[in-house]
Amino acid sequence: MIFRRLRRILPAFLLAVLLLVTSCRAQDTSPYAKTQQESTQRGATPAVARKAEQGSSFNKFFPKSADGYQVVAAQEKKGFAEYKLNKGGKNVAMLSINDITSTPTAKDKYQNSTEKIAGYPAAEAPGKGTGILVNNRYQVKVASRDDSFTKNDRVAWLQKFNLSGLAQLK
Amino acid sequence: MSKTIYQLVDELPTGGLTVMSLRALDFAVPGEWQNLVGFDNTIRAVTGETDPDLIRQIGERAIYLYNDKSQGYQTALWLYQTVDSASSALGAAALANKVGEKIPLLGFLGNITPKADKAQTIDLAVKLVVELVAFCQINGIPGDSIGDFLGALGDYSGESLMRMAALVCFDGLIPLGPDFIQMVLSKFNNMSPQELEQNQTFKGVNDLIPGGNSSGKLGFINESFSSVSGWMSDFVNSRGLTPNNVAKNLSSFIDVADDKLDYLGAFLDVSTNYYEHTGIQTLARRLIERAVAEI
Repeated sequence: MIFRRLRRILPAFLLAVLLLVTSCRAQDTSPYAKTQQESTQRGATPAVARKAEQGSSFNKFFPKSADGYQVVAAQEKKGFAEYKLNKGGKNVAMLSINDITSTPTAKDKYQNSTEKIAGYPAAEAPGKGTGILVNNRYQVKVASRDDSFTKNDRVAWLQKFNLSGLAQLK
Repeated sequence: MSKTIYQLVDELPTGGLTVMSLRALDFAVPGEWQNLVGFDNTIRAVTGETDPDLIRQIGERAIYLYNDKSQGYQTALWLYQTVDSASSALGAAALANKVGEKIPLLGFLGNITPKADKAQTIDLAVKLVVELVAFCQINGIPGDSIGDFLGALGDYSGESLMRMAALVCFDGLIPLGPDFIQMVLSKFNNMSPQELEQNQTFKGVNDLIPGGNSSGKLGFINESFSSVSGWMSDFVNSRGLTPNNVAKNLSSFIDVADDKLDYLGAFLDVSTNYYEHTGIQTLARRLIERAVAEI
């Protein structure tokens, strides 16, 4: 008798506990909560597109150390390669190439700009950077990490990349 | 559910034993570490960006990158967390009711046991290898990883350099003495794979250490430590680091007796999590560097 009643009550009780536990879980109130949810749900778009170029393909197009500046490898992931630009042991800028197949909205700033550097569409970029878009696919950027490194320096270093070589990368 | 990357960075402590211990190492790496905490704050500091909309865009890309498991960032975090054997309970107990007072190490002698030299040498070498593996998970650089790592080690700065300083001081000089590098090299030359397998720190991260079987892993750890030993020795000598001057700098908040340095080492081991703390800071920095470059 008691067991039968228990059997009837138990599922309801467990359900109630479950609801209580889930509703008590702290809500993520961060402005990033939506991005977190979108990037972790089933079938979420991967951060890096499957067809993105390997980062190792970009290495040979970066400028070399010269004139008291050292170019030091920093990151190399699929679709992305980055080097530090140091002077006197201090990091003054970051140099990068990425395949915007993974971040297509990166293109917008070039479409909204009339500027050109070395013949390629150019634009100012977030994080004190200047970028150019090669072949509508490869974004080359120089970003200042020290106030002494000005926009003129960024433009000068962008032109030191092997841009015509990168333009031939299929 | 595990924490999000922005929660991890937002919740990094601004005080406590880990932070105090790292600050005490400022004399070894002056001005390198400012304990940068907070996700948006880190974005501002790393990129120099001030526009809130752009900061948000950088943050969103960083979250996508972190949550894509194939990108290695979560593995790196796991490594940093797992290799830190911190038991925060002891740290909290040490700090309880001690506001404005020094922590009397003598009061904890009954609760802590210094590790045998062999266990400590394995800990030190495994932590160094974890740095190498985590570095490659975060930054890529495949191929000849040890060579690339050495080049990058020379360029270590900020919280990464602080982590290496803490490794040298808290896991080398304090528990093992001024000859810790030679001690590790000679212990590893006479070590069997079975001895390595029994070490707790090694057990925790075993699966992610390259080398195949235990014998291969022993070889990899040995080779990695030998490769970095020159850098370490130069680091210690050029900065004049000794067990005593490290202990002296910690003595502003821990009451240390000179003949109890092995206990001090054991205390730091169980009461701080400097690998995880600075590891999260490194991870956030590199994620943000990549995010801002890609958008």
